[in-house]
Amino acid sequence: MQILTKNNFNSWKIAQNLTPKNIIKKVSDSGLRGRGGANFLTGKKWELSYPAQYLIVNSDESEPGRFKDKFILEKNPELVIEGIAIAMRATNAKTTYIYLREEYKEYKKSLEKIVKKINLNVSVIVGAGSYICGEETAILNSLEGLRPESRKKPPYPSEFGLFGKKTVINNLETIARIPLVFSDSFDKDLLLFSISGDVEKPGVYELKEGIKLFELLSLVGSHDSKAIFFGASGGCIKTDKNISLSYENINKMGGFFETGIIVVDKSKSIPDMCRSIIQFFNEENCGKCVPCREGNFRLLQLFQVILKRRWKKEEFEIIKNLALHIPYGSQCALGESSTLHLQTALKYFKNEFDSLIF
Amino acid sequence: MKITINNKTYNIKKELTILEACKLSGIKIPTLCYHPDLIPEGRCGICAVLVNGKFMTSCNNKIKDGMNIVTTSKEILEYRKSIIQLIGCNFEKEEEFRKWLQLENLPDVKELKFKPQKSEKIDNSCHDIVMDFEKCIQCGRCIQKCRNLQTVNAISYSKRANATRVGKALDKKLAYTDCVGCGQCTLVCPTGAIREKENIEDIKKILKDKSKYVVVQTAPSVRVSLGEEFGMPAGTIVTRKMVSALRKIGFKKVFDTDFGADLTIIEEATELVERLKKKKNLPLITSCCPAWVNFAETFYPEFIKNLSSCKSPHQMLGAIIKNYFAKEEKIDPKNIVVVSIMPCTAKKYESCRKEMEVNNNKDVDYVLTIREFAKLIKNFNIDFVNLKEEKFDNPLGESSGAGAIFAASGGVMESAIRTAHFLLTNKELKNIEFVEARGSSGIKSTKVKIGNTVLRLGIIHTLKNARTILEELKVHKNKYDFIEIMACPSGCIGGGGQPKTTTGETIKKRIAAIYKHEKTLKFRQSHNNPQIQKLYKEFLGSPASKISHKLLHTSYSDKSKCSIKHG
Ligand SMILES: Cc1cc2nc3c(=O)[nH]c(=O)nc-3n(C[C@H](O)[C@H](O)[C@H](O)COP(=O)(O)O)c2cc1C
Ligand code: SF4
Ligand code: SF4
Ligand code: FES
Repeated sequence: MQILTKNNFNSWKIAQNLTPKNIIKKVSDSGLRGRGGANFLTGKKWELSYPAQYLIVNSDESEPGRFKDKFILEKNPELVIEGIAIAMRATNAKTTYIYLREEYKEYKKSLEKIVKKINLNVSVIVGAGSYICGEETAILNSLEGLRPESRKKPPYPSEFGLFGKKTVINNLETIARIPLVFSDSFDKDLLLFSISGDVEKPGVYELKEGIKLFELLSLVGSHDSKAIFFGASGGCIKTDKNISLSYENINKMGGFFETGIIVVDKSKSIPDMCRSIIQFFNEENCGKCVPCREGNFRLLQLFQVILKRRWKKEEFEIIKNLALHIPYGSQCALGESSTLHLQTALKYFKNEFDSLIF
Repeated sequence: MKITINNKTYNIKKELTILEACKLSGIKIPTLCYHPDLIPEGRCGICAVLVNGKFMTSCNNKIKDGMNIVTTSKEILEYRKSIIQLIGCNFEKEEEFRKWLQLENLPDVKELKFKPQKSEKIDNSCHDIVMDFEKCIQCGRCIQKCRNLQTVNAISYSKRANATRVGKALDKKLAYTDCVGCGQCTLVCPTGAIREKENIEDIKKILKDKSKYVVVQTAPSVRVSLGEEFGMPAGTIVTRKMVSALRKIGFKKVFDTDFGADLTIIEEATELVERLKKKKNLPLITSCCPAWVNFAETFYPEFIKNLSSCKSPHQMLGAIIKNYFAKEEKIDPKNIVVVSIMPCTAKKYESCRKEMEVNNNKDVDYVLTIREFAKLIKNFNIDFVNLKEEKFDNPLGESSGAGAIFAASGGVMESAIRTAHFLLTNKELKNIEFVEARGSSGIKSTKVKIGNTVLRLGIIHTLKNARTILEELKVHKNKYDFIEIMACPSGCIGGGGQPKTTTGETIKKRIAAIYKHEKTLKFRQSHNNPQIQKLYKEFLGSPASKISHKLLHTSYSDKSKCSIKHG
């Protein structure tokens, strides 16, 4: 795995002799994209934010089925700190905050120990434990001590970020891959997949974007799958065709490619899966928008109905409407993607829903 | 910028939101959390329209060149229905929901598909503000007022996701917060979830009690905004219809708080002159705004000594009614009930203060906001618009222009200066229209020369601005001689008890009407009001006399450490 490279700050040594502009160019040329979910070109982000005041390393990692940051924190935290040192030089950031989800607080000490080696202003902050804090504007509020709600974009953090200053926000894996950009063997398509669910060998895998679905399933020991879910927010697809797993392909299928993959086998019910995802969003939204807050709450109520009886026709109509309408008026990507699972499930597993209607 | 709305092209020069651009082009989009005076936060989602084929809330997104906007389609209508369903089903009573739909001009949905989910009861812990969680749609307007306009932060969001509530962290009751009762939140709440504590039923009951002699007084600003409750344009003066309505409702006497304002001016100008002579407790800061007084007691107790000891006009008039008028008319003061119609919610608490009693008798028994007053008129099925015109009762009905302009920020200052000038020089101020004191800026400072003294004056409205000026005073102690502070924007004319039609725009129209009205009055200085002169001659003796102090002055206390501050 490239992500396990013991680099001994070699890339940092090289970067110290480069201008910020040249580092940004190197990152841009490498084609590295952000690993926080949005798949945005990292070099481009840095360019837009230059000269930045703050760098935030986002490891709120609360997407269900995603645990790759934890893997890095455990196995190779040095690479993260080296990446931070390079990123700070490239973006001009004077201060860095590493934002860890509460469950990761055990890594704070080891990170702080490594920070001493680079003599830069880097602090490790442990979050208050909420999914929305991973959203790039809610994380700003959280760090400023405000209520963790998303902020209106634009302005983007690259323009008006933490305490109103230009700010770069990157995922922890993105940052850990920065030192690797300086090596000839760097491969921009290598991603960390977190794989869980009905598989023999759950865990973190470093695989190429575009890997064939069947290859991935056999690698992790899944024999009887019918669906994979891309976390809670990326929707689901059927596993009957050997498609290749890329952002583009999944997008075409109506989902969103998220590397936290949850495999579901034939013994499970898709509406049940959807219910637990709805439950997740019902608890984790920030409470700002009516569609997201009230909509997911009513969806959950409707999905609890089927624990006792079947849906009436009009109840199912409301479900379909909410699946469509919740994203329309929501202010952030959480609300916007909170019914993707339902939209895709209704598309690919319609029969399972139909059998639950009177 | 060229944009397309519903297939028509528009050329718009200004930087507008989609909502504003549509409004300008005559296209209506339903809104709910949006308020013209507040920052749009996009919380309710109902204003979403299609922009280049994608849904987007229109209140908080700006137009861009080339935008293609669609505001009605089958899909949009279906979407709006979903949102109304989601909000509407949280109303405890369906008829309340229907009323609200109508009020906000929203499309109707026939049947609500869900049941209410909120279980908290009403928070009734304060004298002035009630919080009724059932009706709250968490639009956040009230929070913006409390946080941004007043810097009080008594209410905020607590918890998250579906448990999100507007209230106080740790679920404190309102009475245990720093709430000063200004009621600015009640002005903007679209559902009436946060509102004044109503006293309408108390009034109806007491009016039926034959043993009671119930009188009423109306604040300076009521006459310019009450009409709005009956569909009249902002700034219509309805003084005489108002008096006539009050008689119809059954009040024995209808007095004018403007008279009380004249009295306040005499006492306060005297106090100012005294303090200037002794150079003590300067600057003198006005105290006729009870929300400001609460704010000072909670956040700035070190300035309590600067507050004027004068009661506010309606409290003064209440004390005069019960102690002077009662004697004149040979009525037992215990049987007199004084009701004040005020543009204010904080006056409800003020009237319950222990310090506002004389011989264990409250100066004022009940305070109604203008909104409550309008409800009362409607309750009595009075056709307000077509009422005949009647005059206030005398005595205590005549007032000067100085009393009238109390309604707007700067008015107290302007009136006090007119009288202080006379007290100090024995001559009338020449230019009585003190333009520097007027205008909508939140912090105004100016100077005025009286005889050989130059007075440095500050005129402040909203508590955020009060905070700014008090912080400045902590450093530059000797910057002002006299400061007027009002908690509400533009003073009582933008008060928390005003009709809900209150916005920056309507406030401007009301103010213009007040100043125009003032020009037409016979007497323009409080000390020239013949009835005030008579009152001093026959009863009070002189300003700041012993009896004045007993009836017309009060005291304040440091509440910063009390757990219940103004509950
Ligand atoms: C609800 C929500 C939660 C998110 N949580 C995370 C997270 O835990 N970690 C993360 O890196 N990005 C998260 N993101 C994405 C961030 O907003 C942001 O795009 C990302 O941190 C940018 O980093 P990158 O450019 O390196 O991908 C989340 C986004 C949303 C909408
Ligand atoms: S969409 Fe949901 S999570 Fe995002 S701001 Fe709105 S309520 Fe909060
Ligand atoms: S109390 Fe009223 S103004 Fe405040 S959030 Fe609720 S509905 Fe909005
Ligand atoms: S009016 Fe625009 S979101 Fe509420």
